[in-house]
Amino acid sequence: MEIFSEVLHIFLSLDNFLAIAVGVVIGVVVGSIPGLTATMAVALALPFTFSMQPVAAILLLVGIYKGGMYGGSITAILIRTPGSPANACTLLDGYPMAQQGHAKKALKMSLYSSCIADFISNIALIFFAAYLAKLALSFGAPEFFWLICFSLTIIISLASGSMIKGLLAALMGILLSMVGLDVVYGSQRLTFGNYNLMDTISFIPLLIGLFALPEIMEFYRKKALPHLKTKASGVGVTLAEMKRSMKSIVRGSLIGVIIGAIPGTGATAAAFISYSDARRRSPNKANFGKGEVEGVAAAEAGNNGVAGATMIPLLSLGIPGDVITAIILGAFMVHGLSPGPIMFQENLPLIYALFIGIMFSSVLLLVVGNMAIKYFSVIADIPKSILFPIVLMFCVYGAYAVNNDTFDIWLMLAFGVLGYIFNRAAIPAAPFLIGFILGPMFEDNLRRSLLIGSNDLSIFVRGPITWFFIALTAGSILLAIYRYVMAQRMARRAADTSQEAS
Amino acid sequence: MNKLINAAWLAACGSALALTMSVSTASANDWPTDDVRLVVPYAPGGTTDVLARRVADLLQDELDANVIVENRPGAGSTVATARLARGGRDADHTILMASPGHTIGAAIYPDLTYDPVEDFLFIQNIIDIPNVMVVPANSPYNSVLEFVEAAKEQNMAFSHSGVGSSIHMSGELFKNLTETNMTSVPFAGSGAALPALLGGDVQVSFENMPTVYSHIRSGDLRALAVTSAERSEYLPDVPTMAEIGEHNLDQFVTTAWFGLIAHNSFSQEAHEAMQEALAAVMQREEFLDFAEQLGAEPGQVAGEEFKQFIAEEVERWDAVAEQAGIRQ
Repeated sequence: MEIFSEVLHIFLSLDNFLAIAVGVVIGVVVGSIPGLTATMAVALALPFTFSMQPVAAILLLVGIYKGGMYGGSITAILIRTPGSPANACTLLDGYPMAQQGHAKKALKMSLYSSCIADFISNIALIFFAAYLAKLALSFGAPEFFWLICFSLTIIISLASGSMIKGLLAALMGILLSMVGLDVVYGSQRLTFGNYNLMDTISFIPLLIGLFALPEIMEFYRKKALPHLKTKASGVGVTLAEMKRSMKSIVRGSLIGVIIGAIPGTGATAAAFISYSDARRRSPNKANFGKGEVEGVAAAEAGNNGVAGATMIPLLSLGIPGDVITAIILGAFMVHGLSPGPIMFQENLPLIYALFIGIMFSSVLLLVVGNMAIKYFSVIADIPKSILFPIVLMFCVYGAYAVNNDTFDIWLMLAFGVLGYIFNRAAIPAAPFLIGFILGPMFEDNLRRSLLIGSNDLSIFVRGPITWFFIALTAGSILLAIYRYVMAQRMARRAADTSQEAS
Repeated sequence: MNKLINAAWLAACGSALALTMSVSTASANDWPTDDVRLVVPYAPGGTTDVLARRVADLLQDELDANVIVENRPGAGSTVATARLARGGRDADHTILMASPGHTIGAAIYPDLTYDPVEDFLFIQNIIDIPNVMVVPANSPYNSVLEFVEAAKEQNMAFSHSGVGSSIHMSGELFKNLTETNMTSVPFAGSGAALPALLGGDVQVSFENMPTVYSHIRSGDLRALAVTSAERSEYLPDVPTMAEIGEHNLDQFVTTAWFGLIAHNSFSQEAHEAMQEALAAVMQREEFLDFAEQLGAEPGQVAGEEFKQFIAEEVERWDAVAEQAGIRQ
């Protein structure tokens, strides 16, 4: 009981509430501006937390993190430019929805799904941190390798239309991800001696170029788009749609939690895995990629599910799973706290106060997000001839802002041209992105496993986790082949019957 | 809405006013006559970035000017450093937070456009963080000597945060000096590397003190030695490498150092103002608390001495990189 009053004493101060509110607002705004990522905002806010109380300081940063994770979906839906890499998956269905006049529906679904996932993720952090941390530690390089193999099979479900084109795009993504310094020997690969390419191709210019620019080019090629008579922003989410998407949201959140608890995978991969899982199971499979509200829900559940869970390895093991949690770790240290098992012994009331604040941030996200939608959805009603030049300006700025480097602007333009070619040739961009994100993880973990196991291949089947993911990978590939064969057989049968009929 | 605009307008006026005031008071002391840019040659997050932001925050008070932190990541730290070496119009108001990447980068990146020693003015070494040789708690090795003996018989794997990091190079240095069999296993940052060590996938690491300190305290990791010249006050029972006395380990003295450097054209006036301000910053309680959290010692060298230290480091890592074959 004593601890309870101490926790309340620490938490119940105006500073904490203000910190969360300000954090979430900054996060949503910054996250929605392409090129300004939540990571950058957290780093910039760090010095302001030096003079704050520790709980308020951490909550401010956590608020930015959570707000940013959601905020990126706003521009992904409205102008096909994901504010942060984690929201790239949201645009697959979000942007088509906006084009069909359902911008508000997509934005609302993204918000609700984000908040629910965030809440589930927080619950996991508070009640299952110890178990999930143990799971994270049993994830070595070989386990990771198989997890990535399984994740790569989602290319099959994302290659809408032509499997050959999908695989081609994925291979191109993997090839481009190899540009830069080799992780083991440090030798240069495909850099052509250019210093700007040594750290691999920057992700944000690639993202902006690949998705936002082709849309603008297409607009100027056609010169005019049909004018929508009704307000483009449309109406919100119906109860039926919410019910229909609920299973995907919960599953996506759990996928996010597990991925988030394992250091080094990231929200972008979680969003895609959740999306492809939802697509595989949904009765509306055919509508995915064309403006399916469940697709938006699944993608956002996946990336927001990560947000609370990345705090698990940070708080329980002192291990930051991504860049943002690394900065938050810095903030802990500035205030004389070192996250890890010791902190649970020495600063328990403080941790509980943090937990309450983190839970509270989910509620605030809902409030702030709703306000943001009200103002942002106006963007959908702006005529494209006015909107696109402004978007283009933001694209250039966003690409530059990441590294303060003009080279990245050229990179973005080059990917714009590539994206345009993809569009014209009906090559899906999503598998390209998956290849680019997962390719390096696949290679690194393969080589790391071989180094750890002294080139003994038995390390790849060393325990139940590896077997589990091998089974999933094999199952996923077999299922795809089975479906392909069945589809062929059906087509042949249909052709036969139509021949007989004639 | 109008209220909002009014408030924004007021805030803008206020900050403009504050800006002019800060410039006018600053101009009375000649330097700085403009905002000072503190370049961090890495992306946001990480020790260099956090340290730079902490120091910038304190420097602002001492210099009575804005100190703006700017991240310019790329190719280790060499992209930002090359840019600093080119000088230019604002070279007199630009400083850079250098770290072991400065000396190791010079050893492993080919065709650098600058000389890591001669092209820069070395202002002040700010902090030194020792590396710690750590093994998992269930490891059979209780001392460096036991470990070395075993590593001569069988292959050991050491984890590190990336090719060319001080953690990686410390491992390579250890391998060279002790003539043992060790495989380098790279990870993307210390956050990803730690689970491999805690989980026992690799046998040893030469991690930075702040990364592993809490794990040593909680008993999940065992510290065998620290790499600084003196024992660390945070781990008083852990010997230094030099104390081991065998296998050439007396030559194993290395720390992750962080310090401010500038272009050669940095004026004498600016140099003096910076040194004075930094001396004050390094006395501040906030700074000392922060250093303590990092398990770091405040830096000891400045100016010519700092430059001499850098020259020796460049030479040393050059030799290690050559032997380990990490060069393109």
